[in-house]
Amino acid sequence: MDRNQLIKWLKAPAKMGHKYSLHVIYFCTGCGIIEIPPVITSRWDAERFGVIPVATPRQANLFLITGYVSVKTLKAIIRTYEQMMEPKFTVGFGSCPINGGMYWDSYNTIKHLDKYIPVDGWIAGCMPRPEAIFIAVTHLWTLIDKGMANGYKKYRENYKYYRANQKQLYGKIEWPPLFPMEDKGKPGPS
Amino acid sequence: MNIIEIILLPLIAFVIGIFFLGLSRKIMARIHWRYGPPIAQPIIDIIKLFNQRSISHGSIFNLGIILSLAGSIVVVLFLPLGRICPLSSSGGLLVVLYVMLLGPLGIALSGGEAANPNTSIGISRKLVLSLGYEVPMLLIFLAVMTYYKTVSIIEIVTTQQSMGWSFASLPLLLSGIAYLLILPAILGIRPFDIVGAPQEISSGPMVEYGGKFLALATIQHAFSLFIGIALFVNLFLGGAGDAFTLLERLLNPVGLGCIVSFLTGLTFFLKMLVVFVICLFINAAYPRLRIEQAIKYLWKWPTLFAFAGLVIVLIIRR
Repeated sequence: MDRNQLIKWLKAPAKMGHKYSLHVIYFCTGCGIIEIPPVITSRWDAERFGVIPVATPRQANLFLITGYVSVKTLKAIIRTYEQMMEPKFTVGFGSCPINGGMYWDSYNTIKHLDKYIPVDGWIAGCMPRPEAIFIAVTHLWTLIDKGMANGYKKYRENYKYYRANQKQLYGKIEWPPLFPMEDKGKPGPS
Repeated sequence: MNIIEIILLPLIAFVIGIFFLGLSRKIMARIHWRYGPPIAQPIIDIIKLFNQRSISHGSIFNLGIILSLAGSIVVVLFLPLGRICPLSSSGGLLVVLYVMLLGPLGIALSGGEAANPNTSIGISRKLVLSLGYEVPMLLIFLAVMTYYKTVSIIEIVTTQQSMGWSFASLPLLLSGIAYLLILPAILGIRPFDIVGAPQEISSGPMVEYGGKFLALATIQHAFSLFIGIALFVNLFLGGAGDAFTLLERLLNPVGLGCIVSFLTGLTFFLKMLVVFVICLFINAAYPRLRIEQAIKYLWKWPTLFAFAGLVIVLIIRR
Protein backbone atom coordinates (compact mmCIF):
# COMPACT_ATOMS: atom_id res chain seq x y z
CA MET A 1 0.00 0.00 0.00
CA ASP A 2 1.63 3.21 -1.13
CA ARG A 3 -1.08 5.58 0.06
CA ASN A 4 1.37 7.34 2.36
CA GLN A 5 4.09 8.02 -0.19
CA LEU A 6 4.15 11.77 -0.64
CA ILE A 7 6.28 11.72 -3.80
CA LYS A 8 3.76 9.62 -5.66
CA TRP A 9 1.01 12.02 -4.62
CA LEU A 10 2.98 14.99 -5.93
CA LYS A 11 3.83 13.24 -9.19
CA ALA A 12 0.36 12.02 -10.15
CA PRO A 13 -2.34 13.26 -7.75
CA ALA A 14 -5.18 12.33 -10.11
CA LYS A 15 -4.10 8.70 -10.42
CA MET A 16 -3.59 8.31 -6.68
CA GLY A 17 -6.97 9.92 -6.04
CA HIS A 18 -8.71 7.50 -8.37
CA LYS A 19 -6.92 4.62 -6.68
CA TYR A 20 -7.61 5.35 -3.07
CA SER A 21 -11.06 6.86 -3.26
CA LEU A 22 -13.29 4.31 -4.94
CA HIS A 23 -16.91 5.25 -4.47
CA VAL A 24 -18.83 2.12 -5.32
CA ILE A 25 -22.30 1.67 -6.66
CA TYR A 26 -23.32 -1.90 -5.91
CA PHE A 27 -25.78 -3.19 -8.44
CA CYS A 28 -27.89 -5.85 -6.76
CA THR A 29 -28.83 -7.98 -9.73
CA GLY A 30 -28.81 -11.36 -8.01
CA CYS A 31 -27.57 -13.50 -5.18
CA GLY A 32 -24.11 -11.88 -5.08
CA ILE A 33 -25.35 -8.89 -3.15
CA ILE A 34 -25.44 -11.02 0.02
CA GLU A 35 -21.63 -10.87 0.09
CA ILE A 36 -21.62 -7.07 0.17
CA PRO A 37 -22.97 -6.30 3.70
CA PRO A 38 -20.05 -8.10 5.44
CA VAL A 39 -17.66 -6.24 3.16
CA ILE A 40 -18.86 -2.75 4.05
CA THR A 41 -19.62 -3.38 7.73
CA SER A 42 -17.39 -4.35 10.62
CA ARG A 43 -16.43 -7.91 9.57
CA TRP A 44 -14.34 -6.88 6.54
CA ASP A 45 -14.22 -3.11 6.74
CA ALA A 46 -13.91 -1.87 3.16
CA GLU A 47 -13.75 1.77 4.19
CA ARG A 48 -10.12 1.42 5.29
CA PHE A 49 -9.27 1.05 1.59
CA GLY A 50 -11.31 4.16 0.76
CA VAL A 51 -14.06 2.01 -0.72
CA ILE A 52 -17.46 3.30 0.36
CA PRO A 53 -20.93 2.73 -1.07
CA VAL A 54 -22.72 5.74 -2.52
CA ALA A 55 -26.36 6.18 -3.37
CA THR A 56 -26.28 7.59 -6.88
CA PRO A 57 -24.32 6.81 -10.06
CA ARG A 58 -23.28 10.46 -10.38
CA GLN A 59 -21.08 10.19 -7.29
CA ALA A 60 -19.68 6.77 -8.06
CA ASN A 61 -16.59 5.68 -9.97
CA LEU A 62 -16.60 1.92 -9.41
CA PHE A 63 -19.48 -0.20 -10.65
CA LEU A 64 -19.80 -3.63 -9.05
CA ILE A 65 -22.21 -5.97 -10.79
CA THR A 66 -23.05 -8.83 -8.48
CA GLY A 67 -24.68 -11.97 -9.79
CA TYR A 68 -26.59 -12.90 -12.91
CA VAL A 69 -27.77 -10.19 -15.28
CA SER A 70 -31.22 -10.68 -16.71
CA VAL A 71 -32.20 -8.98 -19.94
CA LYS A 72 -34.43 -6.56 -18.09
CA THR A 73 -31.82 -5.48 -15.51
CA LEU A 74 -29.21 -5.02 -18.21
CA LYS A 75 -31.17 -1.97 -19.37
CA ALA A 76 -30.81 -0.41 -15.92
CA ILE A 77 -27.14 -1.40 -15.82
CA ILE A 78 -26.41 0.35 -19.11
CA ARG A 79 -28.23 3.50 -18.04
CA THR A 80 -26.44 3.53 -14.68
CA TYR A 81 -23.08 3.00 -16.36
CA GLU A 82 -23.69 5.85 -18.78
CA GLN A 83 -24.61 8.21 -15.93
CA MET A 84 -21.36 7.64 -14.05
CA MET A 85 -18.56 10.19 -14.23
CA GLU A 86 -15.38 9.35 -16.11
CA PRO A 87 -13.00 7.80 -15.25
CA LYS A 88 -15.16 4.87 -14.19
CA PHE A 89 -14.31 1.24 -13.54
CA THR A 90 -16.47 -1.86 -13.73
CA VAL A 91 -15.99 -5.15 -11.94
CA GLY A 92 -18.12 -8.22 -12.58
CA PHE A 93 -18.64 -10.29 -9.43
CA GLY A 94 -19.38 -14.03 -9.70
CA SER A 95 -19.44 -16.46 -12.61
CA CYS A 96 -22.78 -15.37 -14.02
CA PRO A 97 -21.71 -12.04 -15.59
CA ILE A 98 -18.60 -13.77 -17.01
CA ASN A 99 -20.18 -16.58 -19.01
CA GLY A 100 -23.68 -17.15 -17.71
CA GLY A 101 -22.58 -19.48 -14.91
CA MET A 102 -25.35 -21.81 -13.84
CA TYR A 103 -27.75 -19.86 -16.02
CA TRP A 104 -25.77 -20.73 -19.15
CA ASP A 105 -28.86 -22.01 -20.99
CA SER A 106 -31.42 -19.57 -19.61
CA TYR A 107 -33.54 -17.69 -22.12
CA ASN A 108 -33.72 -14.68 -19.84
CA THR A 109 -30.15 -13.86 -18.79
CA ILE A 110 -27.29 -12.49 -20.82
CA LYS A 111 -24.17 -14.65 -20.98
CA HIS A 112 -21.33 -12.18 -21.57
CA LEU A 113 -21.62 -8.85 -19.82
CA ASP A 114 -18.63 -7.38 -21.64
CA LYS A 115 -20.49 -7.44 -24.91
CA TYR A 116 -22.76 -4.68 -23.60
CA ILE A 117 -20.58 -2.58 -21.30
CA PRO A 118 -16.79 -2.69 -20.89
CA VAL A 119 -15.62 -4.59 -17.81
CA ASP A 120 -12.23 -3.89 -16.23
CA GLY A 121 -11.99 -7.00 -14.13
CA TRP A 122 -13.74 -10.16 -13.09
CA ILE A 123 -14.11 -12.00 -9.81
CA ALA A 124 -14.76 -15.63 -10.63
CA GLY A 125 -16.55 -18.03 -8.33
CA CYS A 126 -20.02 -19.02 -7.26
CA MET A 127 -20.11 -17.29 -4.83
CA PRO A 128 -16.75 -15.62 -4.31
CA ARG A 129 -15.87 -14.93 -0.69
CA PRO A 130 -16.05 -11.31 0.50
CA GLU A 131 -12.23 -11.20 0.63
CA ALA A 132 -12.28 -11.58 -3.15
CA ILE A 133 -13.58 -8.04 -3.39
CA PHE A 134 -10.42 -6.80 -1.68
CA ILE A 135 -8.27 -8.83 -4.06
CA ALA A 136 -10.21 -7.26 -6.91
CA VAL A 137 -9.73 -3.78 -5.47
CA THR A 138 -5.97 -4.24 -4.99
CA HIS A 139 -5.72 -5.66 -8.51
CA LEU A 140 -7.68 -2.67 -9.80
CA TRP A 141 -5.10 -0.43 -8.09
CA THR A 142 -2.28 -2.01 -10.07
CA LEU A 143 -4.35 -1.71 -13.24
CA ILE A 144 -4.98 2.01 -12.57
CA ASP A 145 -1.29 2.46 -11.80
CA LYS A 146 -0.30 0.95 -15.15
CA GLY A 147 -3.05 2.83 -17.00
CA MET A 148 -4.72 -0.43 -18.00
CA ALA A 149 -8.12 0.18 -16.41
CA ASN A 150 -9.33 1.94 -19.52
CA GLY A 151 -12.80 0.46 -19.99
CA TYR A 152 -14.40 3.88 -20.11
CA LYS A 153 -12.09 4.89 -22.95
CA LYS A 154 -13.03 1.71 -24.79
CA TYR A 155 -16.70 2.50 -24.35
CA ARG A 156 -16.13 5.92 -25.85
CA GLU A 157 -14.06 4.65 -28.78
CA ASN A 158 -16.00 1.50 -29.65
CA TYR A 159 -19.41 2.90 -28.82
CA LYS A 160 -20.87 1.68 -32.08
CA TYR A 161 -19.99 -1.93 -31.25
CA TYR A 162 -21.57 -1.77 -27.79
CA ARG A 163 -24.62 0.10 -29.05
CA ALA A 164 -25.14 -2.46 -31.81
CA ASN A 165 -25.00 -5.30 -29.28
CA GLN A 166 -27.49 -3.52 -27.04
CA LYS A 167 -29.75 -2.89 -30.02
CA GLN A 168 -29.57 -6.52 -31.03
CA LEU A 169 -30.92 -7.48 -27.62
CA TYR A 170 -33.68 -4.89 -27.34
CA GLY A 171 -34.58 -4.08 -30.91
CA LYS A 172 -35.12 -0.43 -30.11
CA ILE A 173 -33.37 1.62 -27.42
CA GLU A 174 -35.36 4.46 -25.85
CA TRP A 175 -32.42 6.71 -24.96
CA PRO A 176 -30.26 8.60 -27.47
CA PRO A 177 -26.64 7.55 -28.07
CA LEU A 178 -24.16 8.91 -25.54
CA PHE A 179 -21.23 9.35 -27.93
CA PRO A 180 -20.94 9.90 -31.71
CA MET A 181 -21.25 6.60 -33.54
CA GLU A 182 -17.90 6.05 -35.25
CA ASP A 183 -17.06 2.60 -36.47
CA LYS A 184 -13.89 1.49 -34.67
CA GLY A 185 -14.73 -2.20 -34.66
CA LYS A 186 -14.48 -4.61 -31.77
CA PRO A 187 -12.63 -3.53 -28.62
CA GLY A 188 -9.32 -5.26 -28.01
CA PRO A 189 -8.57 -7.42 -24.99
CA SER A 190 -7.97 -5.52 -21.78
CA MET B 1 -2.50 42.68 8.27
CA ASN B 2 -6.26 42.65 7.83
CA ILE B 3 -5.94 41.23 4.31
CA ILE B 4 -3.71 38.40 5.53
CA GLU B 5 -6.32 37.57 8.15
CA ILE B 6 -9.10 37.60 5.54
CA ILE B 7 -7.15 35.04 3.49
CA LEU B 8 -6.00 33.06 6.52
CA LEU B 9 -9.33 32.61 8.31
CA PRO B 10 -11.18 30.68 5.55
CA LEU B 11 -8.09 28.52 5.10
CA ILE B 12 -8.03 27.64 8.80
CA ALA B 13 -11.78 27.01 8.70
CA PHE B 14 -11.32 24.74 5.67
CA VAL B 15 -8.57 22.74 7.35
CA ILE B 16 -10.55 22.37 10.57
CA GLY B 17 -13.75 21.46 8.70
CA ILE B 18 -12.02 18.84 6.55
CA PHE B 19 -10.27 17.45 9.63
CA PHE B 20 -13.65 17.15 11.32
CA LEU B 21 -15.07 15.30 8.31
CA GLY B 22 -12.19 12.81 8.39
CA LEU B 23 -12.39 12.50 12.17
CA SER B 24 -16.11 11.83 12.03
CA ARG B 25 -15.56 8.94 9.61
CA LYS B 26 -12.76 7.53 11.77
CA ILE B 27 -14.65 7.84 15.06
CA MET B 28 -17.84 6.40 13.58
CA ALA B 29 -15.77 3.47 12.29
CA ARG B 30 -14.21 2.86 15.70
CA ILE B 31 -17.68 2.94 17.30
CA HIS B 32 -18.76 0.31 14.74
CA TRP B 33 -15.65 -1.77 15.70
CA ARG B 34 -14.11 -1.13 12.31
CA TYR B 35 -10.61 0.11 11.55
CA GLY B 36 -11.87 3.04 9.52
CA PRO B 37 -10.40 5.08 6.68
CA PRO B 38 -7.25 7.19 7.08
CA ILE B 39 -8.00 10.57 8.58
CA ALA B 40 -7.04 12.30 5.32
CA GLN B 41 -9.68 10.39 3.36
CA PRO B 42 -11.87 13.49 2.65
CA ILE B 43 -8.83 15.18 1.08
CA ILE B 44 -8.20 12.11 -1.10
CA ASP B 45 -11.88 12.19 -2.10
CA ILE B 46 -11.70 15.89 -2.98
CA ILE B 47 -8.53 15.40 -5.05
CA LYS B 48 -10.25 12.57 -6.93
CA LEU B 49 -13.46 14.53 -7.44
CA PHE B 50 -11.62 17.52 -8.87
CA ASN B 51 -9.94 15.19 -11.38
CA GLN B 52 -13.20 13.67 -12.61
CA ARG B 53 -15.27 14.84 -15.52
CA SER B 54 -18.46 16.49 -14.33
CA ILE B 55 -21.83 17.05 -15.92
CA SER B 56 -23.59 20.39 -15.57
CA HIS B 57 -27.34 20.80 -15.74
CA GLY B 58 -27.37 24.53 -16.58
CA SER B 59 -25.99 27.87 -15.45
CA ILE B 60 -27.96 28.04 -12.19
CA PHE B 61 -26.62 24.57 -11.37
CA ASN B 62 -23.09 25.97 -11.65
CA LEU B 63 -23.76 29.31 -9.95
CA GLY B 64 -25.86 27.99 -7.06
CA ILE B 65 -23.11 25.80 -5.65
CA ILE B 66 -20.63 28.69 -5.90
CA LEU B 67 -23.15 30.98 -4.17
CA SER B 68 -23.52 28.46 -1.39
CA LEU B 69 -19.74 28.11 -0.94
CA ALA B 70 -19.23 31.90 -1.05
CA GLY B 71 -22.00 32.44 1.51
CA SER B 72 -20.35 29.97 3.87
CA ILE B 73 -16.96 31.66 3.48
CA VAL B 74 -18.52 35.07 4.22
CA VAL B 75 -20.07 33.72 7.44
CA VAL B 76 -16.67 32.34 8.44
CA LEU B 77 -15.15 35.80 8.00
CA PHE B 78 -17.67 37.25 10.46
CA LEU B 79 -16.79 34.77 13.21
CA PRO B 80 -13.86 35.67 15.47
CA LEU B 81 -11.34 32.86 15.92
CA GLY B 82 -9.19 33.86 18.85
CA ARG B 83 -7.13 36.88 17.82
CA ILE B 84 -8.08 36.49 14.15
CA CYS B 85 -11.21 38.58 13.61
CA PRO B 86 -11.01 40.43 10.27
CA LEU B 87 -14.65 41.44 9.77
CA SER B 88 -16.33 40.47 13.02
CA SER B 89 -16.22 43.99 14.45
CA SER B 90 -18.37 45.30 11.61
CA GLY B 91 -20.99 42.58 11.40
CA GLY B 92 -22.17 40.81 14.47
CA LEU B 93 -24.84 38.26 15.09
CA LEU B 94 -27.48 39.83 12.84
CA VAL B 95 -25.29 39.59 9.74
CA VAL B 96 -24.32 36.01 10.60
CA LEU B 97 -28.00 35.16 10.96
CA TYR B 98 -28.80 36.53 7.52
CA VAL B 99 -25.80 35.26 5.58
CA MET B 100 -26.06 31.78 7.12
CA LEU B 101 -29.16 31.27 4.94
CA LEU B 102 -27.08 31.53 1.74
CA GLY B 103 -25.51 28.09 2.19
CA PRO B 104 -28.70 25.98 2.05
CA LEU B 105 -30.28 28.43 -0.40
CA GLY B 106 -27.45 28.02 -2.93
CA ILE B 107 -27.66 24.23 -2.70
CA ALA B 108 -31.45 24.47 -3.14
CA LEU B 109 -31.10 26.68 -6.24
CA SER B 110 -28.41 24.49 -7.73
CA GLY B 111 -30.17 21.22 -6.99
CA GLY B 112 -33.49 22.54 -8.24
CA GLU B 113 -32.01 23.10 -11.69
CA ALA B 114 -31.25 19.38 -11.98
CA ALA B 115 -35.01 18.56 -11.82
CA ASN B 116 -34.46 15.22 -10.10
CA PRO B 117 -37.42 14.22 -7.88
CA ASN B 118 -35.06 13.14 -5.09
CA THR B 119 -33.52 16.62 -5.13
CA SER B 120 -36.91 18.30 -4.72
CA ILE B 121 -37.75 16.08 -1.76
CA GLY B 122 -34.34 16.79 -0.22
CA ILE B 123 -34.69 20.55 -0.69
CA SER B 124 -38.17 20.66 0.79
CA ARG B 125 -36.90 18.63 3.75
CA LYS B 126 -33.97 21.00 4.19
CA LEU B 127 -36.20 24.09 4.18
CA VAL B 128 -38.68 22.53 6.61
CA LEU B 129 -35.83 21.45 8.89
CA SER B 130 -34.30 24.94 8.89
CA LEU B 131 -37.76 26.32 9.70
CA GLY B 132 -37.68 23.93 12.63
CA TYR B 133 -34.31 24.89 14.09
CA GLU B 134 -34.36 28.60 13.32
CA VAL B 135 -37.19 29.35 15.75
CA PRO B 136 -35.18 28.21 18.79
CA MET B 137 -32.00 29.66 17.27
CA LEU B 138 -33.57 33.14 17.00
CA LEU B 139 -34.77 32.91 20.61
CA ILE B 140 -31.26 31.87 21.72
CA PHE B 141 -29.62 34.74 19.82
CA LEU B 142 -32.16 37.17 21.27
CA ALA B 143 -31.37 35.97 24.78
CA VAL B 144 -27.62 36.34 24.21
CA MET B 145 -27.98 39.77 22.63
CA THR B 146 -30.26 40.99 25.42
CA TYR B 147 -27.97 39.67 28.14
CA TYR B 148 -24.82 41.28 26.78
CA LYS B 149 -26.66 44.31 25.35
CA THR B 150 -24.74 44.07 22.07
CA VAL B 151 -24.87 42.36 18.67
CA SER B 152 -21.09 42.20 18.22
CA ILE B 153 -19.63 38.72 18.70
CA ILE B 154 -16.24 40.19 19.67
CA GLU B 155 -17.80 42.11 22.55
CA ILE B 156 -19.66 39.00 23.66
CA VAL B 157 -16.38 37.06 23.69
CA THR B 158 -14.46 39.76 25.59
CA THR B 159 -17.24 40.14 28.14
CA GLN B 160 -17.15 36.40 28.70
CA GLN B 161 -13.43 36.58 29.35
CA SER B 162 -14.01 38.85 32.35
CA MET B 163 -17.31 37.34 33.55
CA GLY B 164 -16.81 33.65 32.80
CA TRP B 165 -18.41 31.46 30.15
CA SER B 166 -22.03 32.20 29.45
CA PHE B 167 -22.69 28.45 29.41
CA ALA B 168 -21.60 28.41 33.06
CA SER B 169 -23.52 31.54 34.04
CA LEU B 170 -26.98 30.85 35.36
CA PRO B 171 -29.11 33.19 33.19
CA LEU B 172 -27.78 31.85 29.87
CA LEU B 173 -27.54 28.18 30.89
CA LEU B 174 -30.94 27.32 29.45
CA SER B 175 -30.12 29.01 26.13
CA GLY B 176 -26.85 27.09 25.97
CA ILE B 177 -28.65 23.80 26.54
CA ALA B 178 -31.15 24.73 23.83
CA TYR B 179 -28.30 25.41 21.38
CA LEU B 180 -26.75 22.04 22.22
CA LEU B 181 -30.13 20.39 21.56
CA ILE B 182 -30.47 21.93 18.09
CA LEU B 183 -26.78 21.57 17.18
CA PRO B 184 -27.26 18.16 15.43
CA ALA B 185 -29.99 19.73 13.29
CA ILE B 186 -27.73 22.65 12.35
CA LEU B 187 -24.87 20.29 11.45
CA GLY B 188 -27.24 17.91 9.64
CA ILE B 189 -26.09 14.79 11.50
CA ARG B 190 -28.16 12.00 12.94
CA PRO B 191 -30.91 12.03 14.22
CA PHE B 192 -31.48 14.94 11.81
CA ASP B 193 -29.80 13.63 8.64
CA ILE B 194 -33.19 13.58 6.92
CA VAL B 195 -31.94 16.00 4.28
CA GLY B 196 -29.33 13.80 2.66
CA ALA B 197 -30.61 10.40 3.68
CA PRO B 198 -28.78 8.05 1.28
CA GLN B 199 -31.05 5.07 1.88
CA GLU B 200 -34.33 6.96 1.41
CA ILE B 201 -33.83 9.66 -1.18
CA SER B 202 -30.39 8.85 -2.65
CA SER B 203 -28.51 11.55 -0.71
CA GLY B 204 -31.14 14.22 -1.36
CA PRO B 205 -29.94 17.54 -2.85
CA MET B 206 -26.58 15.93 -3.72
CA VAL B 207 -28.12 13.33 -6.00
CA GLU B 208 -27.10 14.97 -9.29
CA TYR B 209 -23.70 16.21 -8.09
CA GLY B 210 -20.67 14.47 -9.45
CA GLY B 211 -17.07 15.41 -10.01
CA LYS B 212 -16.21 19.02 -9.24
CA PHE B 213 -19.71 19.87 -8.02
CA LEU B 214 -19.55 17.17 -5.38
CA ALA B 215 -16.11 18.40 -4.35
CA LEU B 216 -17.44 21.95 -3.89
CA ALA B 217 -20.45 20.60 -2.00
CA THR B 218 -18.11 18.64 0.30
CA ILE B 219 -16.06 21.77 0.97
CA GLN B 220 -19.27 23.69 1.71
CA HIS B 221 -20.28 20.94 4.13
CA ALA B 222 -16.92 21.27 5.89
CA PHE B 223 -17.45 25.04 6.23
CA SER B 224 -20.97 24.58 7.58
CA LEU B 225 -19.62 22.16 10.21
CA PHE B 226 -17.09 24.82 11.23
CA ILE B 227 -19.75 27.57 11.38
CA GLY B 228 -22.25 25.64 13.51
CA ILE B 229 -19.66 24.69 16.12
CA ALA B 230 -17.68 27.95 16.08
CA LEU B 231 -20.86 29.93 16.79
CA PHE B 232 -21.54 27.78 19.84
CA VAL B 233 -17.97 28.13 21.09
CA ASN B 234 -18.01 31.90 20.59
CA LEU B 235 -21.39 32.54 22.16
CA PHE B 236 -21.35 30.07 25.04
CA LEU B 237 -17.87 28.67 25.67
CA GLY B 238 -16.04 31.98 25.84
CA GLY B 239 -14.44 31.94 22.39
CA ALA B 240 -10.70 31.51 22.43
CA GLY B 241 -10.46 32.31 26.12
CA ASP B 242 -8.02 34.61 27.79
CA ALA B 243 -5.90 32.17 29.72
CA PHE B 244 -2.69 33.53 28.24
CA THR B 245 -2.60 37.17 29.45
CA LEU B 246 0.39 36.49 31.68
CA LEU B 247 2.21 34.68 28.89
CA GLU B 248 1.41 37.54 26.52
CA ARG B 249 2.84 40.09 28.92
CA LEU B 250 6.02 38.02 29.01
CA LEU B 251 6.33 37.32 25.29
CA ASN B 252 5.14 40.55 23.68
CA PRO B 253 8.28 42.60 24.49
CA VAL B 254 10.41 39.83 22.99
CA GLY B 255 8.36 39.94 19.78
CA LEU B 256 6.85 36.50 20.13
CA GLY B 257 3.21 37.63 20.29
CA CYS B 258 2.33 35.28 17.45
CA ILE B 259 2.87 32.30 19.78
CA VAL B 260 0.06 33.63 21.96
CA SER B 261 -2.25 33.98 18.96
CA PHE B 262 -1.41 30.40 18.02
CA LEU B 263 -2.17 29.21 21.54
CA THR B 264 -5.52 31.02 21.62
CA GLY B 265 -6.37 29.47 18.26
CA LEU B 266 -5.43 26.09 19.69
CA THR B 267 -7.75 26.49 22.69
CA PHE B 268 -10.54 27.50 20.30
CA PHE B 269 -9.88 24.36 18.26
CA LEU B 270 -9.87 22.14 21.34
CA LYS B 271 -13.22 23.53 22.48
CA MET B 272 -14.65 22.91 19.01
CA LEU B 273 -13.24 19.38 19.06
CA VAL B 274 -14.94 18.54 22.37
CA VAL B 275 -18.31 19.83 21.11
CA PHE B 276 -17.95 17.97 17.82
CA VAL B 277 -17.03 14.66 19.45
CA ILE B 278 -20.11 14.95 21.70
CA CYS B 279 -22.17 15.50 18.53
CA LEU B 280 -20.56 12.42 16.97
CA PHE B 281 -21.59 10.26 19.91
CA ILE B 282 -25.17 11.52 19.46
CA ASN B 283 -24.78 10.71 15.75
CA ALA B 284 -23.69 7.16 16.54
CA ALA B 285 -26.36 6.48 19.13
CA TYR B 286 -29.54 7.65 17.45
CA PRO B 287 -31.45 6.48 14.38
CA ARG B 288 -32.85 8.90 11.81
CA LEU B 289 -36.05 10.74 12.67
CA ARG B 290 -38.85 11.36 10.21
CA ILE B 291 -39.37 14.98 9.20
CA GLU B 292 -42.53 15.49 11.24
CA GLN B 293 -40.92 13.88 14.30
CA ALA B 294 -37.96 16.24 13.88
CA ILE B 295 -40.22 19.30 13.70
CA LYS B 296 -42.23 18.10 16.69
CA TYR B 297 -39.00 17.71 18.67
CA LEU B 298 -37.44 20.99 17.54
CA TRP B 299 -40.50 23.06 18.31
CA LYS B 300 -41.01 21.40 21.68
CA TRP B 301 -37.95 21.01 23.91
CA PRO B 302 -35.32 23.35 22.41
CA THR B 303 -37.94 26.06 21.85
CA LEU B 304 -39.21 25.65 25.39
CA PHE B 305 -35.69 25.89 26.83
CA ALA B 306 -34.80 28.86 24.63
CA PHE B 307 -38.01 30.69 25.50
CA ALA B 308 -37.52 30.09 29.23
CA GLY B 309 -33.93 31.31 28.87
CA LEU B 310 -35.11 34.47 27.12
CA VAL B 311 -37.69 35.17 29.84
CA ILE B 312 -35.07 34.71 32.58
CA VAL B 313 -32.66 37.05 30.81
CA LEU B 314 -35.41 39.66 30.31
CA ILE B 315 -36.29 39.54 34.02
CA ILE B 316 -32.65 39.86 35.10
CA ARG B 317 -31.72 42.59 32.65
CA ARG B 318 -34.91 44.67 33.08
